[in-house]
Amino acid sequence: MPGIYIFSEDVALAKQLLTPALELKKSLNQPVTVLAVSEPDAKELSTLGADKVVILQSPSKWVDGFAEAIYKQFNDAKASILLVGGTLCGKGIASYVAAKLDAGMVTDATVLKVADGGLLATRVLYAGLALCEEQVALPAVLTIHARTFLAPSAAATPSVIETVAVEADTRVTVGKVTATGDSGVDITAAQKLVAVGRGFRKKEDLKLAEDLAAALKAELACTRGVAEDEHWLPIARYVGISGQTVKPDLYLAVGLSGQVQHMVGCRGSKVIVAINTDEHAPIFESADYGLVGDLYVVLPLLTAALRK
Amino acid sequence: MNFDLTEEQQLIGQSARDFAKQYLEPIAVGLDQTGEYPKAVVQALAKHDFLGLLLPADVGGAAAGFVSYVEVIEDLSRYCGAVASIVNNHTIAAYTIQQWGTAEQKKQYLPAMAKGELLGGFAIFENGPMPGVGQDALVATKHDVGYVLNGKKAFVRNAGEAGVYVVFATTDPAAGAKALTAFIVPANAVGVKVGEKLETMGLKGCPVAEITFENVVLAETALLGALNQGVEISAKALAVASVAEAAQTVGIGQAAVEHAAAYAKQRVQFGKPVAVLQAIQTLLAEVATDCHLARLGVRNAASLIEDGKPFEVEAAMVKSFLVRLGPKMLIDTCQVEGGFGYSETMPLPRMFRDIAGTTLLDAPGDFPEKLIAANIG
Amino acid sequence: MPKCLVCYKWTLDEQDIKIKPDDLSLDVSRAKGKISDFDRNAIEEASLLVEKDGGAVDALTYGTTTVKQSLKDALSRGPGKVYWIADASAEKADANVTAKVLAAAIRKIGPYDLILCGEGSSDQFNQQTASRVAALLALPCVSFVSKLSVAENTVSATRKLEESQEDVTVKGPVVISVLSEINKPRIPSLKQVLGASKKPNEEIKIADLNLKPEELLPKAVCKSVKGFVMKRKNIIYKESAAADNVAKLKASLTTEGLC
Repeated sequence: MPGIYIFSEDVALAKQLLTPALELKKSLNQPVTVLAVSEPDAKELSTLGADKVVILQSPSKWVDGFAEAIYKQFNDAKASILLVGGTLCGKGIASYVAAKLDAGMVTDATVLKVADGGLLATRVLYAGLALCEEQVALPAVLTIHARTFLAPSAAATPSVIETVAVEADTRVTVGKVTATGDSGVDITAAQKLVAVGRGFRKKEDLKLAEDLAAALKAELACTRGVAEDEHWLPIARYVGISGQTVKPDLYLAVGLSGQVQHMVGCRGSKVIVAINTDEHAPIFESADYGLVGDLYVVLPLLTAALRK
Repeated sequence: MNFDLTEEQQLIGQSARDFAKQYLEPIAVGLDQTGEYPKAVVQALAKHDFLGLLLPADVGGAAAGFVSYVEVIEDLSRYCGAVASIVNNHTIAAYTIQQWGTAEQKKQYLPAMAKGELLGGFAIFENGPMPGVGQDALVATKHDVGYVLNGKKAFVRNAGEAGVYVVFATTDPAAGAKALTAFIVPANAVGVKVGEKLETMGLKGCPVAEITFENVVLAETALLGALNQGVEISAKALAVASVAEAAQTVGIGQAAVEHAAAYAKQRVQFGKPVAVLQAIQTLLAEVATDCHLARLGVRNAASLIEDGKPFEVEAAMVKSFLVRLGPKMLIDTCQVEGGFGYSETMPLPRMFRDIAGTTLLDAPGDFPEKLIAANIG
Repeated sequence: MPKCLVCYKWTLDEQDIKIKPDDLSLDVSRAKGKISDFDRNAIEEASLLVEKDGGAVDALTYGTTTVKQSLKDALSRGPGKVYWIADASAEKADANVTAKVLAAAIRKIGPYDLILCGEGSSDQFNQQTASRVAALLALPCVSFVSKLSVAENTVSATRKLEESQEDVTVKGPVVISVLSEINKPRIPSLKQVLGASKKPNEEIKIADLNLKPEELLPKAVCKSVKGFVMKRKNIIYKESAAADNVAKLKASLTTEGLC
């Protein structure tokens, strides 16, 4: 029976996927099934309006190893739409399932609606330069990035919960798993961010930005160059096309030029402010407020002014 | 007729641009301020085979041809004229040894020059009226083992950093320039004294100094080419060098006009970007056109050099064109940028000083126009 | 001594693409081609592995006829041979088609110990190809790799995920997708550029891949593309005195309720 399936190993993201799934349920009149990786996750997910929650029980923690089981569940049900949480693992799983289904797949869809017997989804092209609307035939697989949707409110009827045993994928052995970076710092949860680029000449100079961030009660974020080339800040703080996507109330960009690959990660911000010494830096076109000046002069002044 | 570069030449240009962006862009401003020889960058150039570009494979060169060479020089010059000067002066010294050296001389010097272990310098100019004439003229006198050199050479680029110099001395002061003879002189030969570095207007980072030769004894094997063949050798080498220098000029001009055009699109005065003003468009258009035509002229001359065909007239035309219009490129682009163009925090003033160094020097008397006029029709 | 294959895509350089102001459509007329950024990392990683441990690197690309412009570029970066498929189907191909074509080609020219891809292409950034190809070839896939090494028959990789780093090992053939941080792609030296012409390239005709015509039709079709233009207030403070600018900015932040 056709259906709408959801999977994410990240339970918060899986909950968010229920929102577009329940919308699709209304348009297509098809049941919603959530695939979960644990019993606690299943319990959380069962209160939000899905028809069924299936716990995939695997002896292995290798998330990518769930792909075959997800494919089997989806294919056996002859389901029509699979929504996968757009984590890195999620994208791998979604791609695997799409390949086995011989189906089209849209990565990081932001808008989806039923159209022409399939789905019309919006996604980004050219590292954020353009938006594209893609028509994908059913069965379709889509990944959706975290915080694209908000989780739905609690539903009246709880979902039916089932359990299915899953074979581990033994081809890959997972050895050491290390938690990375500032564990605990999630810049995507911050209301305000101060983002730094290579206008700062050395790592020690970032203190100016840290002081400003403290005065604003903001977190620190950065460009790819600062994280990957200079290693001044951990990758978890890097905003951009292959880094984090953030939507804070304030995004204050200091000493960064504002290239498309960076801006695509922060252009959902409510207010964007730029401080840069180059009047012609692209960031000023993307800013609500801009200040042309030397960050080494401006930041201390601004920090002092904010502390008053 | 295909005016495009071949695929290889395009890829070489792309490598040069990527190299320049990675290695030259970060140092260009600092180099102009300190004039400190960029040793690490020169080593990187060697690693990417740029210092042996013209040299044949059997001495470890890339044998990429002169058209690729001028493409590389233009690309390097877009980011840093001074580094391009270092490469040019090194390359012309290596080229001279390649063209006129004996098998032994080539084996002795060229592999190390191709690898960048030995940097080359070219010592032709003197303080007197002409090489070989005047009280400080460099004179080569016959000696038991070969020759002994006495005198001075002025304005030698790469001086002090070079490991080997191609030097032109007169073997007969009475005959002066007519008896000019070329020699290969190692920098560490006894009696070779490099003077103090000159503080030049531009192209800072490419060292320039006077060299005094005090009883420098050279073996017979240091003779490059034949006795008294110096005028012929230097004329040909300088003609080739002039095409390479023209490529520098085009690179600097291109960088300037792109900067000015981007500036004009952003700079708003009286409610509109200044790029909409006809005066600005005219200035930019002229510079862009001159650059484009000069580039084609450089490529044409380079192609003739690569094919071993007569090229001196075409090289002279490009030289003449850029002496007249090279500095104008920077005068015009500075005018486009107005006050900003005058500020040393912007790149144009440095480029202005650099382009003076690639156009206004090395054009004494009536060369190149004399050659062009003599070959019309 | 692994036998490696790198799959790469010849894309338009997004830096050259302009947005037409009147209808927000994209002007790609001046866009030059380039090997997709992350694919360059993949080519570099394979080349480094083989330069260190021995073995061979082949490259494989599927695209329109413009793909021929990429061959010497790819060869100058380390691979010993490049296979190419130039077909009109590539114009509208989605990841489903691309993966099928690549998998079919790999079945023809393989087997390989290691198949590398970039994590995604610089134009579409679908991040699907590696996993899809692995699924079609029934091989494991280790994606988003920041560190890679090969010893005997075992591939060791470090994956960089959102919150953690996983060290995984795989015995036998595997598909790997790499992150840009795994290495810094070389600027080919002149000798490497000139040496590229001496290396072989081989065309694979799509007809020889035994794919049915409907397999070359995309399931995800692009219906419209519009340049993304942000509408922001663009209030810029650029007085000569920094203190004046700071005062104005603080006032604006206060008005917005941000401080």
